[in-house]
Amino acid sequence: MTPPPADAWRRPPLPTLVAAILLIACAEVGGASMTKFKLELARAARAVMLSRPAVHGLVGVRDVDEQIIDEALVKFDAGLRLFHLHAEGMGLVIIATTMTAATLVQSAGARRVIILLLTVGGAGYPFGYLLWSALIPYYGIQTGKTVAEWTMWIPFGGATIVAAWWLVALVGARLVRRA
Amino acid sequence: MRGWLAVALLLLAAAPAPAAAHHVGAYVPRDNEVSANFKQIKFSIQARKFDVAARLYETGPIRTAIRAQAARLPAGLEETTRAALAAGDGARAERGLVVFFAALIRDLALEADRRLADTREPASARAATGQKLLEAIWRYYNLVDFTVGQYDPKAAVAVRLAFDEAEGYAQGSPGPGTTVAPESRRVTPRPVAAPAPDKMREPVQRIAGTMSGLIETSMTR
Repeated sequence: MTPPPADAWRRPPLPTLVAAILLIACAEVGGASMTKFKLELARAARAVMLSRPAVHGLVGVRDVDEQIIDEALVKFDAGLRLFHLHAEGMGLVIIATTMTAATLVQSAGARRVIILLLTVGGAGYPFGYLLWSALIPYYGIQTGKTVAEWTMWIPFGGATIVAAWWLVALVGARLVRRA
Repeated sequence: MRGWLAVALLLLAAAPAPAAAHHVGAYVPRDNEVSANFKQIKFSIQARKFDVAARLYETGPIRTAIRAQAARLPAGLEETTRAALAAGDGARAERGLVVFFAALIRDLALEADRRLADTREPASARAATGQKLLEAIWRYYNLVDFTVGQYDPKAAVAVRLAFDEAEGYAQGSPGPGTTVAPESRRVTPRPVAAPAPDKMREPVQRIAGTMSGLIETSMTR
């Protein structure tokens, strides 16, 4: 068996690839579902909101409440759309960045940690939008956002950012050494 | 070459992440069916397409709402407005619509007054409810402000002043050292004050009274 050429790209670990492809698959299922069940989802969210008037600040006057419910439904829909968008994008980001790490990071320890952070962070981050959407009817726009931020967006997004910049620094240092 | 390509790809991948971290979309308030129908009719009248305006009125939610609330509206409002559109009298038709919105605003103001007077609720909750009702009042008044200003400038000024006053009491005064005006205008900062739902009642009642007066004068003119 002939060894691969020195400048060949290396594939990321299989679990990483599976996670990325699964994420893209979730994005597609999410996108299709939000289109197919748009009305049902909106009706269900509206019903939950109407059963929790205090959470949403509903006052029992149609001219006031319709606007509040409309805003919550727009954000609910935005959360689903952003999940679809980010899950598709982050799936590709995971593949591109972990392939770069697998190929160009020489230290085995650093490579493992970077790939792990990119995989876990990239795969978890988009689900923050799904969580936010799910929480809006029950806890309101702002509380839902705060929960999603602290449980999903900040830890998973932070992991991706840290790993991506770490990778940038390592690849940059490699270039400087070559020059 | 492979290294530079990798750096470029990584920068592209890393850059959107922090920006996207707090991106949750923006909400622009939309018209409800009544305000949307009003705008359609108004623009048709302005374009002198009275047949279109009449059709939009005949089939739209405003006429349905006028019929549903007939007991609280001046007698004959629905027929007067329809007849004005059929006759191509844009000014009279628009006045009929203004009367309808004035009645909506009056009812919202009366509801706001009732809620503000309900001392079983804490003051902050009453102020928050009052603020929401004021926003709804303003959404409707904003639609007819120009026309109200043409028919009854005093009523238009009275509503605006009462609205500003009520909103000020709903939000509380700004803190010391802060001012709503730029430095150069030397506006004396007001002391800190909590939202005052009780004080909101008087300007809200003034809005209801002004709208009642507007309805009476519009129908008798």
